Amino acid sequence: MSTQTSPKLVTTAAVPAGRGPRLGRFRDLTLVPVIVVLLVAGSFVDPIFLTPGNLTNVLQQQSALALVVLAEALILIAGKFDLSLESTVGMAPAVGVMLVIPAAAGGFGLELPGILAIPLCLLVGGLVGAFNGFLIMRFQLSAFIVTLAMMIVVHGLQLGLTQGKSLFELPESFLYLGSATWLGVPAAIWITGALFAAGITALGYFRAGRSLYAIGGNADAARAAGIRVERVVWTVFVIGGVIAALAGVLETGRLGGISANQGVGWIFMAFAAAVIGGVSMDGGKGTILGALTGVLVIGLVENILTLKGVPGEWKQLVYGSIILVALMISRLAGGKAQD
Amino acid sequence: MKLGTATAGAALLATALTISACGSAEGPTRGGGTAGKPAAGGGKVAIDFPRADSDFWNSYTKYVPEMAKELGVDLMPPTNSQNDVAKLVANTQALVGQGAEVVVMAPQDTGAIASTLASLETKNIPVVSVDTRPDKGKVFMVVRADNKAYGTKACEFLGEKLGGKGKVVQLMGALSSINGRDRAEAFGSCMKERFPGITVFEEPTEWEGTKAASMLQTRLEQHPDIKGVYMHAGGVHLAPTLQVLKAKGLILPPEDPKHVFVISNDGIPQEFEAIRKGEIDATVSQPADLYAKYALFYAKAAAEGKTFQPGPTDHDSTIIQLPNGLEDQLPAPLVTRENVDDPKLWGNQVK
Repeated sequence: MSTQTSPKLVTTAAVPAGRGPRLGRFRDLTLVPVIVVLLVAGSFVDPIFLTPGNLTNVLQQQSALALVVLAEALILIAGKFDLSLESTVGMAPAVGVMLVIPAAAGGFGLELPGILAIPLCLLVGGLVGAFNGFLIMRFQLSAFIVTLAMMIVVHGLQLGLTQGKSLFELPESFLYLGSATWLGVPAAIWITGALFAAGITALGYFRAGRSLYAIGGNADAARAAGIRVERVVWTVFVIGGVIAALAGVLETGRLGGISANQGVGWIFMAFAAAVIGGVSMDGGKGTILGALTGVLVIGLVENILTLKGVPGEWKQLVYGSIILVALMISRLAGGKAQD
Repeated sequence: MKLGTATAGAALLATALTISACGSAEGPTRGGGTAGKPAAGGGKVAIDFPRADSDFWNSYTKYVPEMAKELGVDLMPPTNSQNDVAKLVANTQALVGQGAEVVVMAPQDTGAIASTLASLETKNIPVVSVDTRPDKGKVFMVVRADNKAYGTKACEFLGEKLGGKGKVVQLMGALSSINGRDRAEAFGSCMKERFPGITVFEEPTEWEGTKAASMLQTRLEQHPDIKGVYMHAGGVHLAPTLQVLKAKGLILPPEDPKHVFVISNDGIPQEFEAIRKGEIDATVSQPADLYAKYALFYAKAAAEGKTFQPGPTDHDSTIIQLPNGLEDQLPAPLVTRENVDDPKLWGNQVK
């Protein structure tokens, strides 16, 4: 721990006095130039790109991933890790739905009222987070290994319970949030926007939110300063699980069904978005707004590649390369070493 | 230090998983008879299922024990390789260790299975490959429908419905799988040759619903005059496609000039339901029941020492010669509103 903190102190001290104080406020927005570049490049690729319709689509398509990024960013800032979020995106909605649909449609046969599906789904997400928190904080296990195992366990639970089948016959109320439109904009965008606003406010101005930085930076110091580290981190895991479950609800509404693979592979995207957005893997650094810019970059790149019609065989290469270039631009623009 | 612990932990976890996978592969020991006398009237048939997370394969998995009973096949407890060729190799070794005399598999990676096939050949264990055609290595029989025919059928259907002009979207499966590749190539080349007036947009969805939804939505924004969609897999593409079309208000009866023609692939019950409701127009039924039936039929025949010749068969299919074995190309009917209630279609037999 001590070896980790001392270089940090050095870097903080070494920030050039001339630029530091002014630009320092904006260093979480180092991706803004990248976004501007993408917007300009996109408008050359296809005239449809800059239309409100297309940009709304991009935001809607990314809303579920954005929520997972929000959850992951909170946990990363608190100095922990959660790989199991991606499995919660699939499992929580599946279980929530199976409790309310009839057995003939793939349910458990309990047929609880349809209105309960979303609350139950969020509850399941919270329980996964609570269990992660229990193993990590009480059992003192490594967050990486615990959540890696939980990623497999939670996804396995979904496969086992659904017998690998997709769930097609879902209650309308469950699909509503992911498919409705409020004031001309998809509800998913409003919900995601509101949660990000809440996250930015909490981590910027509230004591509980600020304490995440203290814990992520140095848990022992935070404890000495009177922060209830275990309780706060545990709560963050529960909130992360609930947000991931909500991401699953939005995704289900957008897709109209829950496939056995919902959410699989998302965690890499979530990490990529959070990290290019300036959230540190070591904890204690980064902002929610920065993470949001990371999601936007990923969403815009995907959209441009689709509009351009990049051949399938080359898409992944181009995609990965663009993320690397984005990292470099943000490094040059922000002038801050990545960690 | 942090990383070191993590790596060690991951390695440990991987070991634990492998051990448990082997454990499950062993299954219960069978009571008397077969173990002592190999190859007496059809030996032990081992089967590995390729994955547990797709609607099509789950139907296949369900048919296997039924068909085994029907055909009188001595089936060993099945294993599942979870779409991972390394697990398939390990499972095959375990099954051979338990005395398998014929192996039925569905290698989703058609290249990396070659050395396993070679080692099975040296042990004189015939292999029946379902759904995929291994690139190298001896196979007794490949049981699959002609995936190129799927693509061609879909192309003919859309081409005729659109009168040879307009724009269509092709939601493609993973191009790393032979089935995705075959469908995409056949569809693309048929469109180019027979309907040059139709523009095809190819969307590499990697068999993922979330990608399919995003790509189709973006493409419709860019080209609102798209008139046709070909989905490579109903199981993953159906719900997202319908949801996108619904949001755009494009689920309209075929007579409507704004109707978007949708043809799917697989033949699962949900697709039939959508055809009945008029939400999609057609699907190609990939015969899960026949896959299970003829996989076991050929496995039994192999155990009994029978051999086959290229040419037409007694079940409306044709056996063709491959460099490394034979392939029985099962029929895959086109299902439209007219024949969607045919009780012979497997999608109408499962619940």
